[in-house]
Formats: sequence, C-alpha cells, structure tokens
Amino acid sequence: MSTQEAKERLDLLQGTLDLLILRTLIFGSQHGQGIARAIQLTSDEEFLVEHGALYPALQRLEERGSISAKWGISSNHRKARFYTLTAAGRKQLVKETARWKRLAAAIGRILDPAKED
Amino acid sequence: MFRRKRKASDFSAEIEAHIQHESERLREQGLSEEDARAAARRAFGNIMRAEERFYESSRQLWWDHLLQDLRFGLRMLGRNPGFTFTVILTLALSIGANTAIFSVVNALILKSPPYSHPERMGTIYTQITGAVASDERHKLNGEQWELLRDNVPSLLSAVSSPSTSGINLQANSHVEYVHGGRISAHYFDVLAVQPMTGRNFSEDEDRPHGPKSTILSYRLWRNTFSSNANILGQPILLKGEPFTVIGVLPEGATTPLNADLYTALQPSREVESITRLRDGATWQQANAEINRAWSLRAHRYELKDHPGAQVTYHSVQLQKGQTDSLRPQALALMLAAGFILLIASANLAGLTLVRMLRRTSEVATRMALGASRWQIQKQFWVENLLLALVGGAVGIGVGFLALRCFLLLLPEHFLPVTGVPLDGRVMGFTLAVSLFTSILFGMLPALAARNVDLRSSMTSRAVAGGGSQRLRQGLIAGEVALTVVLLAASGLLIRTLVHLETLPPGFNSNGVMTAKASLDDRRFYDPEVFRKLLDESTAAMRQIPGVQNAAVGMSLPYERTLNDGVILSDGREAGQQDQTDVVYVTPGYFGTLQMPLSAGRVLSEGDGPDRQHVVVVNEAFARKFYGGTSPVGRYINKDTLIVGEVADVSVSSGLYEGAPLMSEQTMYIPAAQVDPQSLALLHVWFQPSWIVRAAGPVDGLTAQMQRALASVDPNLPFSGFYSMRDLLAKTLATQRVEVALLSAMAALALLLSAVGIFALVSNMVAQRTREIGIRMALGSTVRQAMVQIGRCGAGASVLGLVLGLTLCVGALRVMRSVLYGVGVYDAPTIVTVILTLASVTLIATAVPTLRIARIDPAKTLRDE
Repeated sequence: MSTQEAKERLDLLQGTLDLLILRTLIFGSQHGQGIARAIQLTSDEEFLVEHGALYPALQRLEERGSISAKWGISSNHRKARFYTLTAAGRKQLVKETARWKRLAAAIGRILDPAKED
Repeated sequence: MFRRKRKASDFSAEIEAHIQHESERLREQGLSEEDARAAARRAFGNIMRAEERFYESSRQLWWDHLLQDLRFGLRMLGRNPGFTFTVILTLALSIGANTAIFSVVNALILKSPPYSHPERMGTIYTQITGAVASDERHKLNGEQWELLRDNVPSLLSAVSSPSTSGINLQANSHVEYVHGGRISAHYFDVLAVQPMTGRNFSEDEDRPHGPKSTILSYRLWRNTFSSNANILGQPILLKGEPFTVIGVLPEGATTPLNADLYTALQPSREVESITRLRDGATWQQANAEINRAWSLRAHRYELKDHPGAQVTYHSVQLQKGQTDSLRPQALALMLAAGFILLIASANLAGLTLVRMLRRTSEVATRMALGASRWQIQKQFWVENLLLALVGGAVGIGVGFLALRCFLLLLPEHFLPVTGVPLDGRVMGFTLAVSLFTSILFGMLPALAARNVDLRSSMTSRAVAGGGSQRLRQGLIAGEVALTVVLLAASGLLIRTLVHLETLPPGFNSNGVMTAKASLDDRRFYDPEVFRKLLDESTAAMRQIPGVQNAAVGMSLPYERTLNDGVILSDGREAGQQDQTDVVYVTPGYFGTLQMPLSAGRVLSEGDGPDRQHVVVVNEAFARKFYGGTSPVGRYINKDTLIVGEVADVSVSSGLYEGAPLMSEQTMYIPAAQVDPQSLALLHVWFQPSWIVRAAGPVDGLTAQMQRALASVDPNLPFSGFYSMRDLLAKTLATQRVEVALLSAMAALALLLSAVGIFALVSNMVAQRTREIGIRMALGSTVRQAMVQIGRCGAGASVLGLVLGLTLCVGALRVMRSVLYGVGVYDAPTIVTVILTLASVTLIATAVPTLRIARIDPAKTLRDE
C-alpha cells in the first residue's frame, strides 16, 4: 500500500477501537494480528488501524473483563495469544453498538438534514 | 480490580508473534523476507510506545504517582510554613491529649492484667435488686470465705485484706514501716505467681495460731535485705514477733495488693476474694455454686439490711472488679478528649478550606493542563494525610509528655495498675485518630474543590466567597459549642473542689505536723505499755523547743475513721441503736488541733482506765441523736458518760455514700479507756497519728519528733510526716485529678476556638482588603470597617455559645454524682463561662481587625 492510500484512510474515532475489537470477536476467538486484519478487511480497508494501538486496547479490555486471553497455536502453526469475548463483553458490545448507532444517526441528521424530510 | 499481573515479557512476546504473523502474510503476497518484516513493523507503529502504554496500565504507576504527589505535597507544605506549623501544632496538641487519655483508658480497661490467662480470673459481686439496687464487689466474712473455699469446686479461690496496712519490720538494728498485705493460702496460685525462691502459703498458715511466716516482695528483699540469698527460713521481726521467711517473689511480680511483704490472713472482719476458674469449669457453673454455697449461711446480713430485696452473687472479671470505680471518670475524660479532636478538626477544616480556595488558580491551571478532578482531589488528600501523620507523630510525643505530667500528679497507688504504657494499642489508636482527623478536616475542602469553575477562576482575582464563609462560621459555632460544654463541666468540678477544700475544718490546720506509726505489734497489745508509749512520747514531743502541744489520735480529720455501733442508754432515746465514727485520742488532741469546745469539758489525764468511762461527742452527734439538745451528762453504751461536745471536723466518709468529705456523728474516747481486747484488732486496721502543733517553723521538727518517739521505744519507726494540707490533698486526690485534667482540656478547647475565630476574622480581612479600601475611599471609617468585619467572628461565637448552653442543659446532668456543694445549673459557673468566652472572642476578633487600620485606600485603588 502506498503512503497516498494510507493518508486517505479514516482515522479511528476515540473509543471506537474497543467497539470494533468486540465486534470482531463475536465470530470466535482470534489473535491480535487476526483482529487487526479483520477490522481492515471488513471496513473495506477504509480504517487505518495502527497495529501498535491495538494491543494496549486489548490489554485494557482484558483488564475490564470484557475479553479473556489464552496462548495458543495459530492456523499457520505459530504461537499466538487468542482473545475470546466474555459474557460481560457481549453485554458491552450490545450497549456500545446501540450507542454508536444513535450517535451516527444524530450526526447524519445534522450533516444531511434534507435527507430526513 | 488487580488480577494476577501480566508480565511485560509476555506482552513483548505477543507483539513479536504479531510481527511474525503479519510479515508472513505480506511474504505470501510476494514481498521479500526483509521487506515483509519492515512493512509489518511500519504497520505496527512504535513498539516502544505500545510497551510504555502497557506499563502505564499496570499498577506500579499508581505507586509512582503517589510518590510524586507526596513529593509535591511536601513541597507545597514547605512553601507555606505558617499554615503547616499551625496545622501540625493543632494536631499535635489534640492528638496528644487523646493519646494520653487513651493510654490511661487502655491501662485501666483494655489492657489485660499481668497475670497468666487473666480472662479466667474473677472476683465476686453482690447484686441487690429491690428498693435500693446495687451491684458491688462483695466483702466476705469468715463464714463466706470457708463456704467459698470448700463448696465451690469450679473455682480456685483466695481472699485478702482489702488494702495493705502499715506494720513494723525490724531486721538487726534496722527498723522500717512497711506495707503488709494479708492473704490466704492459694492467693499466689490464683494469680499464677510462683515465688522466685521458697514456696507459697499453705493451708497450715491459714489456721488460727498457725506458723508465723512471711513472703517478701522482690523490692523489699533487694533493698532491705540486700538480696540475701540465704533469707529462706530466717526469722525476721514483724509486728514485734519473729516471722519465718518462706518465699521471695520474682522481680516484677505484681499483685492487686502491691504490698512490700505478705503475711497469712488472720481473722479479719472483711476480706476481698480473687478467684481463678479451674480447667473445664464455666463461670455459669461457678456462679451457681457460689449462690448455692452462700445460701447455706447462718447470717444472711444482706437480707436483713435490704428486706424484701433479691440478693444474688456473680463473678466479674478481676480486671473490671479492680478498676470499676475509675471507669466512669476515664470514659468521661475520653469523651472530653473526643470533643478536643472535633474542635481541632473544625479548625483545620476551616484552615484547609481557605488554603484550598487560595489555590483555586493553581487548581484551575492544572485542570487546564489536563489534570483530572480525581488527580487534583488525590493531591489534596495526600497533603492532608501527610499533615495528619506528621501531626500524629508529634502528638505521640506530646501525649507521652502529658502522660508523664499526669502520672506525677497522681498520688502513689492511685491507679490500680502497675504502669500506663504507650503500647501497640495506643499507637494504633493514635494512628487511627490521625487518619480520622485527616478525613474529617479534609472532607470539606475536597468537596469545595469539586466546584472549581475553570474559566472564572483563572481570570478573576477574587477568591470564592459567601458559601465557604458561612460554612466556616458554622464550624466555629460548632467548636465554640463544644468548648462551652467543656468549660462549664470543668467550672463545676472546680467549684466542687473549692467547696470541699474550704469546708469549715472545725479545727486549726495551720502549724500541725503529723506522723503515723504502726501499733499492730506484739509489744503494744498490753494496754499498760500502749498507754505508757502515748503518754511518754507526747510528753517528750512537748519538750521540743517551739512545739506548743502534742497528742495522739487513732485517726485525723480528713481521714477515714472507725465505724462502730452505739446504743443510747437514757432518757427518751434509751435503746436506740445506730452507727457512729469512733476515734480514740489522748487528752491533748482537742487542744493540739484547736477544736472549739461547745459544751462540757474535753478529755483529761484524769480519765484513766479504771475511772468512769467518758466520751466527747461532736455537734453532728448531738444533732443526730439528741435533736440538738445538749448531750453532756447523757449515757451511752450502758455506762459511758458524755462529758463534752466539740465542733464538727470534716472526715472522709465511712458511714454514708456521698461526698468525699463531710461531717458525721463522731465520738472521741480516751485512749486510756479503749477496751483491751479490741486494741490489737483496732491496730490491724488503723495506724494512729502523732500530732504536734508549733507556733512557727521549727528546724528539724520531723527528726526531733522521731527522736522523741525513739526515746520511749527505739524500735518504732514513723511512716513519714504529713501536714494537714497533705492529708486534705490525699483525700481529695480524685477531685484534684479530675479538675486538673478537665481544666487542661477545657483550656485547650478554648485556645483552639480562639485560634479558629482569629483565623476566620484575619482571613476575612485579607480577602476583603480591596473592598474595605474602596469603602474607606468612599467615606467609611476604620471603626465601621472593623465592626463590619469583626461581626462575623463574634456572630459565630455567640451562636456557638447559645448552642453550647443548650447542650449543657442535657449534658451536665450526668455530672450530678461527682458534684458536691454546687448544683448542675450553677449561675456563677455559667456567668463565668459566658464572660470567659466573650472576652476571648473579643480578643480573637479585635486583634486581626486592627490590621484594617493599616489599609491604605489609595494603595488598594492603585492596585485595581
């Protein structure tokens, strides 16, 4: 990917990374690199996830009890730390998703009022 | 919140795994090994930053921040030495007072006595319910003791005399007046004290006319017998008779009696019990056994004394039994100390509030730079905690000094404990008090900090006003209210002490010197020898140059007297029986003490043993038994003639519950006519006093008195010499201690309140300098400005006074039992409290307002 491409990608809004991580894990446990990849792929490469920012976020979520982690072996036979959504994480995801949808809708109305009418 | 911590190495391993996965993916897309790895790293971003953030999320940081806050706090406190000094001084004084009082409470109530398994040790109480309810330590007679010993298998029991008595010890040429305790067999077994050498008393010694043996305390053995290792089996002369030393107690061993030496219990009227629960037994069993055993008694005098009442006996922990009488006082003092703490906290809350408001712009700046409210709050709490801990540490020092002074104030053996240590529990208490105070005084400012408005505080110079001012005034009113209660309480105690000390003494206490000697001595059981000793020794003392008169009395004014029954034998009152104080005296007693004679004659040399038995009674006796008509010429106890009536003197009451000093019906009998059979027994309980009256100071009077006594009996030592003032002080020791402690605390409270008011007003002046300057520029006088500012301090004080007086109405009622000669609602006390507070308030508000006079309106306006 070129630098030009990277510049046009969207920076993540503060707080949305947690939401994306939780959303990604809903399909099963995954390791860090897999999560980063999944976020990029599912957002059609629109988001720029700095991989380094991912890990402190994972750590934070783990400390809060939203996800749990365990070392395991990845599909290409390498050691990796796998993250799984906990029950608390599932609840958080539902809540955050709803919140996010309301926020997005509200911002949408402001930016494009004509569309509402 | 903190689960098992994840290691940094684990985090790094995860990052490494990520880079590998990512570069592998890129390689699969066709990049070279090297390019793939570089691209993966690029996509990752700053690895170090990720690791830093991981570290920050772990808890070491919490500690780092605390240290940082501490350093910053220290710097802030150092930059403001006046504030820091005031706070630490306030804390040190209030925490010191609490530490000192608590250590006494600890020693009296909380600390276990120094015996093994103290929780299994007890004493017996009598509980009487009915018209006159009571629950007091039981005094046993011989019959009860035998029943307790033989019929209560759950307990190992022993008895002792209630207190020690003075006896003469003679070893070679050395004579000494020592304090002997009389104890039964097993006394030391109950205490679980084994002699260092030798043995304890056995049942043999308990029998009447059993072997005469003694056990020495370590101190006596070391001081008087020079630690003689061969002392066991040696005879020593006690009470004029040889006693065999059978044991020496180990160093540091204490007993409830705390005597110099111990002898076996002889028949005695009243003894006190100590008990130890035997293994496997329970207190319930023991109590049931005691009640069963004592119901077998022939004479149940309690039932006779309290008709219709329910009398039961129960065991009470020895600790409680020993300290029961001092508990209410100790707890009251603890309450007073708590007041001091509240007052100090109110002051400090005011001070820190002001400091907090002064720092508003600092807070605002820090918040603008990104500090969270929690970080700011934490900073303040850390500073408060720091202050409280330093204050607490200094407070321990202050408490230690205060405690030393307090213990010096106490007469010997006043507290029934061996020492008042500053032990771990006291330290823990002090720490808890410090933390508690820091929360108490930190809470308000912290709450106030929550409402700092960023923009307005950074731009305006004005410091937040109205609300906090009212809050501070409220705090001052609260502390003044508590101060009023303390002042009033100590005022009432002072009035009580003054009342007791200025009771009409009924004799002339100036110029009298007294000394006790023990006549519980085989040599003086013979009435002939006894009379000769009194006659010749008083005659010898009268020969001392400067001495006007000399006499002997079994007890002196202010002291406890013998109580005995009396039967009125003639006239309307014939057959009436009652109790009276009895004192044997030599004929010179009334002259030496200068007791005024109100009717008849005093005793004379002519009232010898074989003559008409006569007594002199006091006015209280005449009032009580003869309705105030002259008792002279009446007969009592069949054939004893009342020949005179003298003024009442104050004695330490034995007949009635009540004041520590009062006048009771008393009869004075000639020493020469004391019943020879009771002479020995009387002298077990009472050590008579020799009294001399001198016109002025006499050089070496005490040595000359001792020589005069020695000229009659070279082996009779005096116990020590006391003026009548000394005896009065000894009798009123409890009252004096109460007054000293409560007054000290009331004074401290007053000082703290004054500081509080002063700080409030001077802060007002500082805050409103600009406003005052403008007002003065507009024509206000200095005086108007002073009144206007001073009003806030005075207002708070007046509110506190009203509040405090209202509190007094309820609170002071509990003091009724310790007040004598003064009512709970005592006008002079209340007026004094109001005047004291008014003048202190006036000074504390006036001094800071004086600064207003120095405000230069021109300068303030220029500053605008």
